[in-house]
Amino acid sequence: MLCEHCKTREATVKYVEVINGVKTEHNLCSHCARSVDIGQYSALFEGEFPLGRLLAGLLGMQNAESGTARYDSVACPNCHTTYKEFVQNSRFGCPDCYSVFDPLIGENIKKLQGSERHVGKRPKNLQGQADEVGKGHGTAGFGSEAENEAEGFQKLDAKERVLILQARLKEALRREDYEQAAALRDEMRGLKEEIKQDGEMV
Amino acid sequence: MAKWYEMPGEPASNVIYSRIRLARNWRDYPFPEKMTAEQCKELVDRLGAGLRGIGALDGTKYRFAWLDGMAELEKTALIERRAINRSFSKKKEAAGLILSEDERVSIALNGDDHIRIQIMEKGLNPLSCYERADALDDYISDRFAYSFDEKYGYLTAFPTNVGTGLRASVIVHLPFLSRRKNFPSLVADMGRFGTLIRGVYGEGGENFGSLYQVSNQKTLGQTEQEIIEIVKKTAVELDNQERRLQKEAQEARPLAHADEVYKSYGILKYARRLTRKDAMEFLSHVMTGVVNGILKTDGACSIYGLMVGIQPANLLSMAEKPLNKEELDAARADFLRARLPKIRQ
Ligand SMILES: [Zn+2]
Ligand SMILES: [Zn+2]
Repeated sequence: MLCEHCKTREATVKYVEVINGVKTEHNLCSHCARSVDIGQYSALFEGEFPLGRLLAGLLGMQNAESGTARYDSVACPNCHTTYKEFVQNSRFGCPDCYSVFDPLIGENIKKLQGSERHVGKRPKNLQGQADEVGKGHGTAGFGSEAENEAEGFQKLDAKERVLILQARLKEALRREDYEQAAALRDEMRGLKEEIKQDGEMV
Repeated sequence: MAKWYEMPGEPASNVIYSRIRLARNWRDYPFPEKMTAEQCKELVDRLGAGLRGIGALDGTKYRFAWLDGMAELEKTALIERRAINRSFSKKKEAAGLILSEDERVSIALNGDDHIRIQIMEKGLNPLSCYERADALDDYISDRFAYSFDEKYGYLTAFPTNVGTGLRASVIVHLPFLSRRKNFPSLVADMGRFGTLIRGVYGEGGENFGSLYQVSNQKTLGQTEQEIIEIVKKTAVELDNQERRLQKEAQEARPLAHADEVYKSYGILKYARRLTRKDAMEFLSHVMTGVVNGILKTDGACSIYGLMVGIQPANLLSMAEKPLNKEELDAARADFLRARLPKIRQ
């Protein structure tokens, strides 16, 4: 196939672009792809990340294909972001939006992210909200006040760690990384032992 | 005080610097887009006040600035130095910036997310950048409870950041590799490992200076360390390929290769007018010469620091009066004549 741009060289690069729900396939020679590809990356970066546009693209496409337009007016009760708004700018309005729209977009997030569960860091003070420091002082004396570091690394409890390991195990199996899967399985087994001994699990 | 980008990098490497960004949101407020003007002001005020003591964490000096108190020129210069991004600079509502004296650490308040922690460091050091970001993150979360979800992790305005909220990047100089015909397909191949590669300085599809940024695409379902590892591996692979090509060129056409490097040095050293594009390209050749040992500079130097310094807003902020295009090009040449490292013959 000839390059769609210069129509002289053989097309060696193929890429699929999804913008506003319209999927377009491009076949370019490496020479033309060079200008198109890199330029596109730079342009998209300003608006955060290409995946963002891709997500909006995917959702828009589904809308057109399967008539999910009926979800357009589904809104988050907390911040009033509607599904339609989200499809347009790939941006949520508040933390609650995640649970409100999860049934509608969970699959797409999974598709783009290659996963549906967080396995990394967790905030230290997940349970109680820490007291707000410096309230009412304003930002005037910035950097002038030394503070003691509050130490208190809160260890995750074993049950939470098992959940995280489960997700990682699933991911390892999907990647067919059996060595890691075996290691994770062992680690989980150990943790479950621990839980049993602590009498936390029924 | 010297800025981080003025510090000499690792010799004999095409890796310029590493960058880590963490996106976080305080659970007391909706995401920035849905906040009232009142809420924006209050949020920045409270965050700024609560983080006043942050310097005690690592003995670093920080300053706090309200975005609307900054001149346009200063904002643009901060973008050129990568301390903030364009979307933050355009923010209409109240926003704040906590910036370390060496500009290695920046914490943007009320940009696309409530809190964005960014660390930059010379060389291939994404993990040590992350460790620093991690400590700052703990400090902040001791004071402000984050929006965090069992399934989705750290909740962010864009679902493309959700999970770890981590964007890990390594910036590499690829003058030979990017000139290859197969570079776009190489870039596409790398994408399959979950990284994205894009040009750093440029407009309209051009990339002056051949600097490319490798970043992770996905933020959910991998640990921070795994994400960093993928980015690091890609950067090392690109560095290796670039090195091989430089070596080949040096062996196949030693005279042409050395000539390109020395000519570029000579122009930068004596020119009286330089456009941004030309200066970036000549600096790129000089950078290659320094990395592969053709040019031996007197003492350590940072060619990347010069690339940052010659960007328009930085030159304009140094000038005492507004400059027209010709004066700007002259200021750029002056800047380089004064700062280009001496070479040993
Ligand atoms: Zn073509
Ligand atoms: Zn909401």
